[in-house]
Amino acid sequence: MSTLEVKNLNVSIDGQAILKDFSLTIPKGEVHALMGPNGTGKSTLAKVMAGHEDYTVESGEILLDGESILGQEPDEIAHAGLFLAFQYPLEIPGVSIANFIRAARAARLPEGEEINAVEFYKELYEKMDALKMDRKFTARSLNEGFSGGEKKRCEILQMSMLDPKYCVMDETDSGLDIDALRIVSEGVNLMRGSDRGFLVITHYQRLLDYIVPDVVHVMFDGRIVHSGDAELAKELESKGYDWVKEEFATATA
Amino acid sequence: MTSETLEAPVTPSTTTEPAWLAARREDGKTQFETLPAPSARDECWRFASVGRLSTEGYAPSNTISEQQLAQFEARSNLVTERAGSMVYVDDHSARFESISEALAEKGVIYLPIAEAVEKHPELMKKYFLQESTELGSEKFFGLHAAQVRAGSILYVPRGVEIAQPFVNYYWTSEERVAVFPHTLIIAEDNSKAAVVDVFFSEKEENEALNISVSNIHAGANAHVFRKVVQDWNEKTVSFQLDTTVAGRNAQVKNLAVNIGAARARYENQTRIEGAGADVKMYSLTVAEESQEFDQRTFQTHNAPNAVSDLLYKNALLDKSRTIFSGLIKVAEGAQQTDAYQTNRNLLLDPTADVNSMPGLEILANDVKCSHGATTGNVDEAELFYMMSRGIPKRIAMQLMVFGFFEEVIEKIESEELAENLRQLIHKKFGEKIS
Amino acid sequence: MSDIDLKEQKEAINVDTEKGNFSYPENYEFDAGVGLDEDTVKYISDVKNEADWVREFRLKALDIFNKKPMPTNWATEDLENIHFDKIRYYLSKGQQPSRSWEEVPDDVKETFERLGIPEQERKFLAGVEAQFDSEAAYSRMKEDLEKEGVIFVGSSEGLEKYPEIFRPYFGKVIPSSDNKFSALNSATFSGGSFIYVPKGVKLKQPLQAYFRINAENFGQFERTLIIADEGAEITYMEGCTAPKFETATLHSAVVELVALKNAKIQYITVQNWSSNVFNLVTKRGMADEGAEVKWIDCNIGSRLTMKYPGVVLKGKGARGEVLSIALANNGQHQDTGAKMMHLADNTTSNIISKSISIGEGRSTYRGQVHMPKHLKNCKNNTECDALLINTNSRTDTYPAITTRGENNTVQHEASVSKVSAEQIFYMMQRGLSEGEAMSLAVNGFVNELMKAFPMEYSVELKRLIDMEMEGSVG
Repeated sequence: MSTLEVKNLNVSIDGQAILKDFSLTIPKGEVHALMGPNGTGKSTLAKVMAGHEDYTVESGEILLDGESILGQEPDEIAHAGLFLAFQYPLEIPGVSIANFIRAARAARLPEGEEINAVEFYKELYEKMDALKMDRKFTARSLNEGFSGGEKKRCEILQMSMLDPKYCVMDETDSGLDIDALRIVSEGVNLMRGSDRGFLVITHYQRLLDYIVPDVVHVMFDGRIVHSGDAELAKELESKGYDWVKEEFATATA
Repeated sequence: MTSETLEAPVTPSTTTEPAWLAARREDGKTQFETLPAPSARDECWRFASVGRLSTEGYAPSNTISEQQLAQFEARSNLVTERAGSMVYVDDHSARFESISEALAEKGVIYLPIAEAVEKHPELMKKYFLQESTELGSEKFFGLHAAQVRAGSILYVPRGVEIAQPFVNYYWTSEERVAVFPHTLIIAEDNSKAAVVDVFFSEKEENEALNISVSNIHAGANAHVFRKVVQDWNEKTVSFQLDTTVAGRNAQVKNLAVNIGAARARYENQTRIEGAGADVKMYSLTVAEESQEFDQRTFQTHNAPNAVSDLLYKNALLDKSRTIFSGLIKVAEGAQQTDAYQTNRNLLLDPTADVNSMPGLEILANDVKCSHGATTGNVDEAELFYMMSRGIPKRIAMQLMVFGFFEEVIEKIESEELAENLRQLIHKKFGEKIS
Repeated sequence: MSDIDLKEQKEAINVDTEKGNFSYPENYEFDAGVGLDEDTVKYISDVKNEADWVREFRLKALDIFNKKPMPTNWATEDLENIHFDKIRYYLSKGQQPSRSWEEVPDDVKETFERLGIPEQERKFLAGVEAQFDSEAAYSRMKEDLEKEGVIFVGSSEGLEKYPEIFRPYFGKVIPSSDNKFSALNSATFSGGSFIYVPKGVKLKQPLQAYFRINAENFGQFERTLIIADEGAEITYMEGCTAPKFETATLHSAVVELVALKNAKIQYITVQNWSSNVFNLVTKRGMADEGAEVKWIDCNIGSRLTMKYPGVVLKGKGARGEVLSIALANNGQHQDTGAKMMHLADNTTSNIISKSISIGEGRSTYRGQVHMPKHLKNCKNNTECDALLINTNSRTDTYPAITTRGENNTVQHEASVSKVSAEQIFYMMQRGLSEGEAMSLAVNGFVNELMKAFPMEYSVELKRLIDMEMEGSVG
């Protein structure tokens, strides 16, 4: 059961339904893109998957390799193998990138085991080089005073250092210029492989020129209304989202 | 403290003190006896638990054995590389590491008070006990003046730069001892020096009274950095009364890490008298149990084009209390002033109590002045972010809280001292932060 | 630039800055005489033919007033220049407020016409009360509001006719002992508005009161109590002026607001007293569950204003807000601020204070934000911005913040700035005069905040600021 599976998920916040019977299956080795207009519940889905407590899950399941992760603490879900790249990464004053990633790695080790500092830094520097991040960044406080592009690169750095089974990327392209977009995408593409699944949430098709998806889903009003291959994204780009809304309106009428 | 203990001969040396000093002590005594006790109605003491401030029943220590003194040597070791060092236990000298001959030849003076009074009377007459606090504890400054005998005098002549710090330790040991540590730094034009003052208690259970004073005089373009580590036991009542006078283009930094005492009153005032001066005031406080930290600060700009920047961070555990009251005063004519004041409070327990009074008095118009005060708990979104990376809640909390401290600790400019402080804080509070 | 130059310039540019600076010969039926003692208080009570409990309330307050020291341990020494023994505490023509302007005595009517009150009433008000020295000369509310059960009367009438409504709250939000001046008002109060808005009634147009001092050496002590019952909504506006006398005049009001569950009260003040008035006012609102109390407070005139509108956030989810603008010109001290007392969970408060100091003017912000108990999810945000126009202008900020509890956030920020010479140059290069450029810059400074004000008031305020700014550049 090497899949990340969302089954009939119903989620609300303050009594308002956001996700409505939402279902999605991402097998390892595949990249799925989730597109849709603003306010359809894409970011809610990402946060619920990562265990954010602000949302009320009315019903449904989220299974990671067959095991339910719903209701678990965010760190337990991370340990199970899910990584969420945040749309708006938080600034953590006084905690350096290096210390932060070390603590995250250490938390995954069995009790008593310690991280080999030399190897850790070697790996960290290599990955930073690949993402064209200045090595001096390791001593800087996490995301503090970073530009939008730097924050997103730092997310990919963490993703790569923590080696998750499934990566959920929430609007990773927002706030990126074209160069940063290319660098971030390369970082992601390097991580693609048969042992990892991706859910790339985006509003625009642009990112999918760089990270070519296996499957594209279109989300509207809390559920997936369309699925297809990479061509679907291009179709969306040319037609805009209005036709989705119209189609949806006809379907539910 | 009763007047009886006040009148007792403090040390043999006082009997041979010069008349000017005897007179200054007499003035101090009068000041202590005549000024009224702090009252909550007084703005200088607003929010403070003035009832917990009694100086009754404490007395200076008269004797201490050599054996006792010897054991503090090895324990006074936060900073190993230093230009000179003193260790006092209950105000008795346990160590005096003098300066190198090279520095002595350049005219640097680093001496205990009594010796300085004897050898450099003119210097001492000019600077010693001349700058009183104006922030409410004038009465206690008086008592300090009457009683002070332990402390260091540092004089750095024009153009002399000293890379390594001077490190002074003040220990309390006996039950209900009163100590009066004193730091005087005179940095002449274009000189450079750093001083670390450390306050420790030998035993957790013995009550003590501390009234310490520090006066910094920074000449034109002088660079002075004073660092304070205050880790008295939680039975100590402490007054820390610090002043800085900054001359033209002087650069002065004050940094204090306060984690000890039952009741710690910290008055820190800076008077900018020279154009272009740049003064920084940093403080980190971690409070627990029923500790009360009462911080009063004053940034006075009497000259134009100067900068002052204050950052006071407080983290509160249990039912502890903090009070921050700061004032920036820009005098008429002190144009092109940049003055800032920031007070950040992290509430780690719902029963802790934070009071913040950031103030401005601005009498010149071409200035950049701002202050900010924030109080809050650990940010839930940040916590979620960290946990989503697989970091357990307890560790995430520790990282964030210690991250909150880092902003001050990283300014300490000594990796050894910074690391020792991190460990000190971790040892004391690590278990509680989760 | 000296004070005299400034004044001359102002007068040359626009005589309207002195809009309120005129008076009519004195002609009073009732005069409590000069000075304050028990007899003065009894005289006022007798003239008003008050119930025993009101008389007792006054006498008790007088006792408190006499015992309380001047608050000079934190406030300005200028308070010592108020000579309570030289002030006249009650002056009236001894008639009931008229319901039509025709019935108002000529001199009084002319006064209010010159101040534009009848015109404003026609344009956008739901009711007006116009007070001349100690008593209202005119009071009228639209008839449909009366039918809905809205009560809009003076303080004496309110206590006499509707004690069951007003007595439970009178002196409860602000006890006589709150401070020396609330005690003074409680002993000598006369005039002001007592308003009751019944459950669910939402007033679409504001009610307005206008306070006018005509007599020299006079003290005006109006008393206002507004009760918005559950779900009710009301906006109340007050304006004030006085002629410029040689001697100091005292204005010391007490305003109590009670917003019951889910009610909303908005209270707007544009204070434009002449520069000899000591304006020492206590204002506080109580907000029950889900209720909102909002103070919009503009202080343009007076010699010394001390006023810190407050909100006691008593019920869950209550909201409090103080938006204030102060303008301190030569010889003026605007000592204003806000108080927010959080006494229930999920309460929020917001304070935005903008002050402008011109010449030797001094503006002071004093704030208190209090979350003393073990509350949850409370928020306060405070912003204080000061603009200093001249090299000798002054501003102070003295906030006091106490926080406890869980998931509460308190944020205070203050900044001080000036209008830069480059900004002025830039605007002058585009053809504006220096004064216009300065006015524009100052209006820009308060613009964001003024958007929160009702239109009619932001227009009036902008006009007043423009006038104050004339001749301030030098």
